[in-house]
Amino acid sequence: MDAKKSKRLQRLRILSQIFFTWLFFFLLLKSGGAAIEDLPHTGFFFYIDPLLLWVNLLAGPFFRAFLLALIPLLLTLVFGRFFCGWLCPLGALNQFFTWLGSRRGRKKVAVERNSLRLKYLLLIVLLVASLFASQLLGWLDPFTLLTRSASTVVLPGANFLAQHAMQSGAQSRGWAGKAVKPFYDLSRRFLLTVRQRTYLQASAIGLIFFSLLLLNLRRRRFFCNTLCPLGALYGLLAKYSLVHLPLNENCLKCGACANHCTYYGSPYQDYLKSECVLCLNCLNDCPAAAIDVRFQLPRKGQRPALDLGRRHILAAAGCGLVAAALPQIGVEKKSKAHAFIRPPGAVAEKDFLKKCVRCGACMQSCPTNAIHPAVFQSGVEGLWTPLLVPLNGYCEYECNRCTQVCPTYALARLTLEEKKLFKIGTAVIDRSTCYTYADGYNCAVCEEHCPVPEKAIRFREVEVNNFRGKTKKVKQIYVVPDLCIGCGICENVCPRTDAPAIRVGAEEEQRENPY
Amino acid sequence: MKRRTFVKNGAMFSSGLLLAPLARGQAQPGAAAIVQVKGASPYEITKKAITEIGGMGKIVSRGDVVMVKPNIGWNRTVEQAACTNPEVLRAVIELAFAAGAKKVVVMDNTCHKAEDCYQRSGIEAMARKAGAEVRYSDENRLVVHDFKGEVLGKWPVFRDFLEVDKFINVPILKHHGSSGLTIAMKNLYGILGGNRGKLHRDMGENIADLANGFRSHLVVVDAFRVLMRNGPVGGRLSDVELRQTVIASTRIMQADVAAAALFGRDAREVEYLQAAYARKMGEIEISKVPVRALSV
Repeated sequence: MDAKKSKRLQRLRILSQIFFTWLFFFLLLKSGGAAIEDLPHTGFFFYIDPLLLWVNLLAGPFFRAFLLALIPLLLTLVFGRFFCGWLCPLGALNQFFTWLGSRRGRKKVAVERNSLRLKYLLLIVLLVASLFASQLLGWLDPFTLLTRSASTVVLPGANFLAQHAMQSGAQSRGWAGKAVKPFYDLSRRFLLTVRQRTYLQASAIGLIFFSLLLLNLRRRRFFCNTLCPLGALYGLLAKYSLVHLPLNENCLKCGACANHCTYYGSPYQDYLKSECVLCLNCLNDCPAAAIDVRFQLPRKGQRPALDLGRRHILAAAGCGLVAAALPQIGVEKKSKAHAFIRPPGAVAEKDFLKKCVRCGACMQSCPTNAIHPAVFQSGVEGLWTPLLVPLNGYCEYECNRCTQVCPTYALARLTLEEKKLFKIGTAVIDRSTCYTYADGYNCAVCEEHCPVPEKAIRFREVEVNNFRGKTKKVKQIYVVPDLCIGCGICENVCPRTDAPAIRVGAEEEQRENPY
Repeated sequence: MKRRTFVKNGAMFSSGLLLAPLARGQAQPGAAAIVQVKGASPYEITKKAITEIGGMGKIVSRGDVVMVKPNIGWNRTVEQAACTNPEVLRAVIELAFAAGAKKVVVMDNTCHKAEDCYQRSGIEAMARKAGAEVRYSDENRLVVHDFKGEVLGKWPVFRDFLEVDKFINVPILKHHGSSGLTIAMKNLYGILGGNRGKLHRDMGENIADLANGFRSHLVVVDAFRVLMRNGPVGGRLSDVELRQTVIASTRIMQADVAAAALFGRDAREVEYLQAAYARKMGEIEISKVPVRALSV
C-alpha cells in the first residue's frame, strides 16, 4: 500500500481512538453531572462488551441490550482485533503511553510468546471461575477497569489539581488573576464539583491504574498484550478473521515494520493475527510500501496464532477452580451479620456478587459521593464492589441515579418512587454517645435532616439529670425502624467528631429475604 | 426589563434618593415598620411589601454590592416549600438593582448537595435570569468571625457574606422540628461553615447571638407556601399550606415574631425568640409589634 494511503489509514485509526476515548469520558462525566432529571444512556461501552454478556448469561435474567456485544464479536471475524486498536478507550490510552515511550530510540525486542500467552490463560481462569459462582471478570475487563479508575481516581484527581491551580490563580491580584478568573468561574459552574470527591481505596486503585499506564513505557501496550481478558477473547476469534497483512514483491526484508509493532512482531516476521490490533504502524514504517491490507478467507496453515499448549490450558482451568473455591470458603459466606450496606436496589448478596462487575459506574453517578469500592468487607471476591458509606455521603432521597446506570442490574432499576421506599438498612442510635442521652442536651440534627416525610427520626421531651446534676428537659432522639429507609443522612450529619452517634446498619435491609 | 417597569423603577429610585434623608430622619428606634402583604402573586406582593416599608432605596445605596441570602438548604421543589420561592427572590433582586446596586450576589451554604439544591429549588436559574451572581459556598473562603455573643463567639463564616455592603435576608417560613420554626434568624445558619451541627446544642442562644452579631439590613420573609409539619426538609405536599403572604421589615426579630404569629404560634414558645428578647432585640408579644397588614 502506498505511503499516502497508509498514512491516511493510520490517521483515521488515531482519530477513531480519540473519538471513542472522548465518548467514554463524556458519558462518564454526564452520568456524574449536576442535573438530576436527564440521564443519557451511559451503558454503551458495557453493552458492547462480550465478557459482560457472559456475566449476564450466567447471572441472569437476560437483558437484550447485551446482544449488542455480538456485533464486535462478528466484526472481529472480518476485521480481526480492530476493536482493541480502533475502539477501546483503555487501548487508546495504552497506545498513547506506548507512543510516549517510543520517542526514545529502542532496539527491537523479540516476540515474547509467554507474556502474550498469559492473557489467554487469565481468560480461561476467569471464565472457569465464573462458572462456579465467583465472578471476577470485572477486575480485569478493560471497560470496568477504566470506568472504575476514572471515576474513583482520574476525575477526582483532575478536579483537585484543576481546582487548586485555578483557584490560586483566580485569587491573585493583577492581570494573572483577571485572566484566570473567567475560566475558574466557568469550570466551577460546568466542570468542577463544588465539593472535592473522595474515595475509599483511591490510592490503591490509582496505583494499579497508573502502574499499568507507565508500564507501556517499557513494554508496548503492556496491559493489552499481557493481561486483557477481552483482548484474549478477541484474539481467539481474530485467528479466523478475513483481514490479512500480506507482503508484496517490493519487500526489502529490512524488518523496519517491526519498529513500532504493538506486539513486537511484524508482518514480515512473527505475524500473529491473534495479536495484531491493526494499528497499521507497520504500513508507515515500511520504506518500500510492501505491506498490503487484504481480506481473504484464511486457509489452513494461514492462521498464524499463538500455541497455548494443552498443559497450559489445563493448568489455567485448574487455577480457575481454585479461584472459584477460595472465596466460597471464607467466613463471610456463613455469617448472617455484616457490617456494610449496599446502594439502593442491590439484589441479595449472593446474586449481587455474581452480577456486579465492579465497574464503579454507580460511584461516579452518586451525587453525594456516598458509594465507594469495597475492600474485603464482603470477602475477597467482594473487592471493589460498591458500598454505601454514610460517613462520606448519603443516599439522596430525590435521586435514583445509581440504579439507572448499573449495566448489569446488580442494582435493580428502580423508579424514583420505588427508590424512596427501598429499605437500604436501618438507623440505630448509640445512646452512650448521642448528646441527647449521654450529655443531656438538645441536638436533633439527624431529625432535622431525615428526608422521610413522616420523619423516621423523632424526639420525645423528657426530664433528665444532666452531667452538672441539674434537672433539665431534653428532646431525646429515637428512630422509627419501620419508616427508616437507611439513607444514612443522619449518620452523615451527626455532629459528633469521634464517631457518629447514629449509624445505619444492614438490619432489615430489603435486599435480603427475611426467611 | 420592560420599558414601563424601567421607567417606573427609575422614578421610584430617584424619588427614593430624594426622600431618603427624610425617611431616615423619620425612622424611630423600636418602631420600625413591619409590613405583611397578601396576594396571589409572590412577585407582586414582595414588591408591594418592600415599597410599603419605605422602598429599597432606603436600604440599598448607589454602587452597593448586595448579598441576597435565600434559604436554598434542601433539594426540594418550590411546591414542597423547603426553599425560598424564586419569584420572591426575583422581586428582591430587581428592586436592589433598581435602587442602584452595583452587584447582587445570591448564595447559601446548603444542607443537601449544593448543585442539586440550587437547581431543584429553581433559585439558580431565576437569580441568573434576574442578573444576580450565583455563588456556591467555597470552603477555601472561610474566615473566622467573632460574633461576640453570650454563647456564640468565634465561628467560621464565608468571606462572601462579610465583603458585601448590604445583606438582605430572604428566608422561607416553615416548621422546624427542634427549634419549632425557621424564619430569618435561623436562616443565618447559611452564612456559617464548619461543623454547624454543634450549634444545635444551645440552639436558641446560638441563633440569637448569630442574628445579634450579624446585621441583616432588610428581611423579606417568604410565607407564600408554608411547610406546616415535618420541617425543615418536608417533602410531602399535604404538609404545605398556601398562605400567599410576604413579610418585610428592617428588624429581624420583629419579622420573625410577625411570621411566627402568621404560622399560628406564640413567639414566646420559640426558644430563640425568647433568647433574642432577652438580648433586647425587639418585642416578643405580637400585640406590641406594629404589623401593617395589606392585601393586593
